[in-house]
Amino acid sequence: MSQQTASAQKIHTFSRGLALALSLGLSLASAQNARQSTLVIGGDFSDLITLDPGVSYEFSGSLVAGNLYDTLVIYEGNDLKTLKPRLASSWKVTPTPTGSRITFKLRDATFSTGRPVTAADVIYSLTRVIALKTPSSFLLTDVANITAKSLSAPDAKTVVMDIPKTANPNIVLALLTFNVGGVVDAAEAKAHEVKGDFGTAWLKDHSAGSGPFMLNRWDRSAQVALDVNPNAFRKSPNIKRVILRYMTESSVQQSSLNSGEIDVAWNYTPDAFKAAQNNPKLKALKTDTFMLSYLGMNSAKGMPFEDARVREAVRYAIDQDGMIDSLLQGLGRKTQTIIPIGLTGSDPKIYYPNNVAKAKELMKAAGKADGFSVDFLVSTGSCSGGVPCQDLAAKIQADLAKIGIKANIKQMVNSELYTTYRAQKAPLIQADWSPDYPDADGNGTPLSDYAAKSLAWRNGWDNAAASKLAQTAAIETNAPKRLAEYGQLTALLAKDGPFAILYQPYKPVVLQAGISGFNRNANGDVQFEKISKK
Amino acid sequence: MLTYILRRLALMVLVLWGVTLGAFLISHALPSDPAAAAMGNNAREEQLADFRERNGLNKPLATQYVIYMGQLLRGDMGTSLRTQNGIVNDLRAFFPATLELTLVAVVFAVLIGLPLGVIAALYQGRPPDLLARTFALLGGATPVYWLAILALTLFHERLGWLPGPGRLDVYSLAPPTHTGLVLIDSLLARDPAVFWDGLRHLILPALVLGAYSAALLTRMTRSALLEVLSQDYIRTARSKGLTPARVIGKHAVRNAALPVLTVLGSLFGSLLTGAVLTETIFSWPGIGGYATTSAISLDFPAVMGVTLIAGLAYSVVNLLVDLAYGFFDPRISFS
Repeated sequence: MSQQTASAQKIHTFSRGLALALSLGLSLASAQNARQSTLVIGGDFSDLITLDPGVSYEFSGSLVAGNLYDTLVIYEGNDLKTLKPRLASSWKVTPTPTGSRITFKLRDATFSTGRPVTAADVIYSLTRVIALKTPSSFLLTDVANITAKSLSAPDAKTVVMDIPKTANPNIVLALLTFNVGGVVDAAEAKAHEVKGDFGTAWLKDHSAGSGPFMLNRWDRSAQVALDVNPNAFRKSPNIKRVILRYMTESSVQQSSLNSGEIDVAWNYTPDAFKAAQNNPKLKALKTDTFMLSYLGMNSAKGMPFEDARVREAVRYAIDQDGMIDSLLQGLGRKTQTIIPIGLTGSDPKIYYPNNVAKAKELMKAAGKADGFSVDFLVSTGSCSGGVPCQDLAAKIQADLAKIGIKANIKQMVNSELYTTYRAQKAPLIQADWSPDYPDADGNGTPLSDYAAKSLAWRNGWDNAAASKLAQTAAIETNAPKRLAEYGQLTALLAKDGPFAILYQPYKPVVLQAGISGFNRNANGDVQFEKISKK
Repeated sequence: MLTYILRRLALMVLVLWGVTLGAFLISHALPSDPAAAAMGNNAREEQLADFRERNGLNKPLATQYVIYMGQLLRGDMGTSLRTQNGIVNDLRAFFPATLELTLVAVVFAVLIGLPLGVIAALYQGRPPDLLARTFALLGGATPVYWLAILALTLFHERLGWLPGPGRLDVYSLAPPTHTGLVLIDSLLARDPAVFWDGLRHLILPALVLGAYSAALLTRMTRSALLEVLSQDYIRTARSKGLTPARVIGKHAVRNAALPVLTVLGSLFGSLLTGAVLTETIFSWPGIGGYATTSAISLDFPAVMGVTLIAGLAYSVVNLLVDLAYGFFDPRISFS
């Protein structure tokens, strides 16, 4: 072999090695980039059954659909009292002889399919929800009281919605911030329509929205992958892909967060959350909810809680502080009225400081000095705030025992529990309630108005004054007057109602310390486009 | 042989019909309202009434069963009350993940359990036997839930040797679905990286799922082999000067295989339907999780679908085991 050939071969070998190292380096760098622009959330997303914004009515569905679709108006961040523009650049509410009219002016926006968003798309999206009778249709038909005829489009950028006097335009605007108001590309949905289903079957696992992300793929019970939508007006500068990884168990989420496999863990138990608060590599966030955990006391004639003094005695006997500090490890807030903290109408007053002596007096006055025995229905599994329901039930049982009430705990799966409750057959129940829309009426009517056949009805509590107040406040458009009406309603319920509010839970979310811009509001919305990752 | 198989298949149809009837009656005996379970706590009475109407839940029970059987004969298992998907589509999405996990778990169980059982029998009363019996005891007594968490914490979180939950890495794109089995689909897509990733993700859950089976197989193989080794024909074979390997391999193991095969068949069936805990811990998108969620939410059509598939799997495996008897023992005839 000549010296020249050997030298050429050396150069060749060197350059091949260099190319290999370079390509390896580039692919490592590209993998690193992919990791930095991918947000991985591990959580229990088993409630996800569809990604169609008009059908989805579950927490996980709302979380995803809120990033795939835009609504006309929106609440931004944690301010859930001030409406902000989204697809509608402006809107105007005007009175009409039959009620009120909301006129929306649309901004320029483009769907992920490349088509422009028009007024016809908005009308199609809302009318399909009405026609499909989905779990959320009642928001439009029963709360907003609108039909397909209530909607019109004078031009491609204007949507007009006529609302009857029976509905409050402010509530209509509030509920349009939900998925139910998500705007889909009408042409795309129609192209995939099967047997008049308005494209529902296709939209279950495909997307056709104008939100900052679009669906890449949903592997059921495995993961949901969203990719950035290049046409969106809500740009996502840092995160280009979001993956929602199914992880049912809190312990598995902890393990995956510690190993760096996921960036965000969605379901930490109170104990694990406390440990995460002391870990400098993690951020432990207590995010707000509008949920209320409560005791429902059946107040119908002949039931143990018929006498209002017994219900008051229970409220005095419940040790909320002990429950929140020990069981929930701080993952709950103390409140005692039916409108959750964060909504207009919420009342911060503590009507019932824990007072066993006072509770006993009330029991005596009600002729129940010796107490009584009652079946106490609770769910199996985990209650709001991540605490095991049996632990919560045991704490309540112990509190009630102090005033002579022997609560016999009966654990049931939710389906059986709520069937019993709906049939007015639960003497005493621990349950949760979240409003259907972020407005005081989301709790006011179901918890106060017997005629609504919701929680007041299930607990056999029929109070004409409360029903009237709830109905009046629901459609009142004068803000100070409405606030005063809810003040009266919450005070009435606190004194006489069939509920003992236990706590308003926080939703614990744990992140890697390098994640910034993450915010989950009380509605459960997270704007993925605002997040960045180091 | 063919007549035997046809007779067994006819019996299988009867068994499966019994399964549908039993599952239907048990499902509907529960004092709960499936409409309320599907529509949630906040749903209004009118919504529930509409849901019952749309899903035929307000029809008499006998009519509902006749409708269901009519659909089933046309290959339609109905629609899930919870997901509103066709049950066939749901099963197609979830069953392959469980099947893949179970197959690998059985392979692990056989690879571990059989040799350990043979070694234990050959070294009866000596240290290898003691070790094998200890493994059999621990494997049988350790709760799957605890073992799964321990394995995940040690091998994934602490040592980083094996990947965490799920069928593939978060950053791996799943191959196009043909069979639903990641290993097969990745090979069909000629994607060795995804195949390797899928294989690595299978190791921990399959080992955890197969641990109990491996322990049981160890014990069964040991006792079956010990019994065979004391038989006269083994002594004869040895006296004829056959090598120990030939005596064990050709005469003893083959004759000890029948009870082991029986256990293996029923293990496969129970693994296929009993992987719920392993699937939950390892976030494995299989039929176990689907069945549990469906049962909790009173999704009767889905529960019926899973029960039917489980019944079918048991029946087929039993038939295969019975047919395999003939291979190991020529004295067995299928006339």
